[in-house]
Amino acid sequence: MDSCLGVEQDLDKATNKFTAIHDHTNKVLQDLITQVEKLKQEISQQPENEQLSQEYTLLVSELAATLKQTVFQMSTEHRELHATVSRVGKSIDRHFIADYGAVAPKAELFCNEANRPIMEQAMAQHLYRQGLEDVGDVFVAEANIPPVERTCTFAQLQRCAAALADGDPSLALNWVEKRTQELAHSPLPFTLHRMQALKLAREQGVVAAIQYARKEFPAYASRHERQLQAAVCALAWCTPGAPAAPSHYAHLLDPKALGVEAAELFIRESCAVLRLAALSPLAGAVVAGARVLPALHDIRAKMSHPHVIAAWADDELPLEVELGEDGGGYHSVFACPILRQQASELNPPMRLLCGHVISRDALNKLAIGVKLKCPYCPMEQSPAEARQIYFS
Amino acid sequence: MNEIKSLEHATLKVPYEVFNKKYRNAQRVFDVEARQVVAAVGDLDVAVRNGSSAGDINNLLGGMVEKLTTMKRKASDAIAEEVQAAFVCKKRLEHLKEQAEAIVEPHTAQNKTTMTQWRKVRLDRMIVDYFLRNGYYDSANKLADSRNLRDLTNVDIYAAGAEVERELAARRTGRCLQWCADNRSKLRKLNSNMEFNTRIQEFIELVRSDKRLEAVRYAKKHFSTYEEGQLEDIQHCMGMLAFPKDTDVEPYARLLRTSRWQQLVAQFRWEHARLLHPARLPALPVTLQLGLAALNTPYPFLHNITASNPTCYKESTKVSGCPACQPPLNSLAATLPHAHCSHSRLVCRISNKPLNEHNQPMVLPNGQVYGEKALKEMMKEHGSIICPKTKEVFCMKRVEKVYVM
Repeated sequence: MDSCLGVEQDLDKATNKFTAIHDHTNKVLQDLITQVEKLKQEISQQPENEQLSQEYTLLVSELAATLKQTVFQMSTEHRELHATVSRVGKSIDRHFIADYGAVAPKAELFCNEANRPIMEQAMAQHLYRQGLEDVGDVFVAEANIPPVERTCTFAQLQRCAAALADGDPSLALNWVEKRTQELAHSPLPFTLHRMQALKLAREQGVVAAIQYARKEFPAYASRHERQLQAAVCALAWCTPGAPAAPSHYAHLLDPKALGVEAAELFIRESCAVLRLAALSPLAGAVVAGARVLPALHDIRAKMSHPHVIAAWADDELPLEVELGEDGGGYHSVFACPILRQQASELNPPMRLLCGHVISRDALNKLAIGVKLKCPYCPMEQSPAEARQIYFS
Repeated sequence: MNEIKSLEHATLKVPYEVFNKKYRNAQRVFDVEARQVVAAVGDLDVAVRNGSSAGDINNLLGGMVEKLTTMKRKASDAIAEEVQAAFVCKKRLEHLKEQAEAIVEPHTAQNKTTMTQWRKVRLDRMIVDYFLRNGYYDSANKLADSRNLRDLTNVDIYAAGAEVERELAARRTGRCLQWCADNRSKLRKLNSNMEFNTRIQEFIELVRSDKRLEAVRYAKKHFSTYEEGQLEDIQHCMGMLAFPKDTDVEPYARLLRTSRWQQLVAQFRWEHARLLHPARLPALPVTLQLGLAALNTPYPFLHNITASNPTCYKESTKVSGCPACQPPLNSLAATLPHAHCSHSRLVCRISNKPLNEHNQPMVLPNGQVYGEKALKEMMKEHGSIICPKTKEVFCMKRVEKVYVM
């Protein structure tokens, strides 16, 4: 936020100055034009072929001097704005990081000729999954990549979601009706019906909305009691000429926000029902990457040690990044509680007889001959009794 | 540090460069117009001093009014363009602020929606940027139009570049040289040889059409002020004059190949992007690489890989939602480092729910670990437990608890 505000300050300053100079030059030039025109008017009254009188000669030379001075001054004034303009550029440089790739020194290698088609395939796949078939087609043709499998399911879901975002829940309601069983515990059906009711209230009046609500809402009364109350109350502000709604209903009465939210819920829930990932691989990876980047910049800023860049040369990132609820957590990761190391093929997780899990390396280190004491409980056992387990 | 600060520099810097350029243009307009007015003032002065007639002065004043009116119009237009360019910066800043405001309080439902939407737009922006920098102009335009992103992406800024590229691809150099002239000082700062390479191409074309004398004249005009490191290329050019146009003597054959035009297009694309963007690579591949690395795990365990599919990376430990496991990106992830992790984070492979004290991890006799809840549900449905991986059947009694610290 700070970085945005910093740049905004400088940018606003620049815009203000430019608007001011716009008005100023216009005004000054208009003044000059009027002055010259006035003088011209007076001179044209003079007899045409006679020499100009002393008085007018003086006036003309004076005006000429002013003209010269003023236009030069104007040009100088504009030139002085240079500092303001370049301050915006410097502000951007100061508040944002210019070379985001600096922490990924192998990025260039990653973009090699072998990897690029794969990346572009992932992009095409993403476009198709977003329901942008026409863009995908153009891209596949332009980039000359092998055709990508189009998944109709996604396109259909995205069409429903797009309609929702536009404020039309009918497509999505159709989809939901066919899957009432699977969506029994989902907030999606009620959200859609609520949206439809509010839409009816806007388009056909509150009576139609109440009729619709009578028909559809009772099925969800127990699960969504509070929300149901709020939705019905919100109808009170749907009549034309109603006063502004209190703030906690404003959200329900804003069809745009409601539609976007419903579209998102729809994608999430429908993908869960169909056991598909809500994000395309490209989107998922980019969300995670955008989280890692600032963390890497942080660590680099803190320790400008070659080790950090070299860490990329290893087989592990130099730090742990919390990817957030929607960014990661796809796989189980077992880190040995003794060695604080991720398990690997050569060092797999082992379950001791007492049920505690440590890595095989730790097990070998802790074992004394045929005896092993569990580091977490008093149980003694033989290392041979430990069993390898698989967190798939 | 946050995502905006580390990723969005170019989003603002590129329109800023346009703004800066407009400023320079406006300054030039001011200077030129002021000089015009001053010249007219000079004429007027001379006329007055020579004691010209009132009619002449009147005419001169009329000319002056015209000059001033032109200046007013041109200055007004130039400044309006500057303000317009600043406004584009402002618009993008507003877009970034949307996210910055939401990130302060990321856990309210409304802000979550804002952020998901924002990320979607960001990905679209990144893709458009990637398209532009790789010359997929139609795709970029189409995507920007269908997502209504023209203001937030550089499609309009790249339009001129795309035009130059089209001209070069059609073997016309005029626009390219014009572009080089427009950006001469910046290109020099970057040590670019774009103009020189284009000139060489023009020379080659003269040789190709057997206008050798003209070629010599061309060389005299353009190659005499060569810079360091260019002499060798010029020598090659001059050597070419001695050979027929279908020669297979190197390096002349190489110069005369038509593929040199494609190289020119590629070079132009690269220089054009270099002029606009401070970072060498588009943001998309960089974040993609880091993201795949962050999602990467040190699995697969070798013995899990089935005999029928021994090469497919991670086939056995594949998770349907994970970007690093799915084709086509899985083949990229295979070469990347994996995430650092010092605390276990377990997920039940059946329900995709986290394993913790509310959903105890349980081990089957074959060593596979799943969540207690999913196994109980399976018991209820089938009366026994079928390992989803190996399809072996067990009873609940043989399932044991696992304690992961």
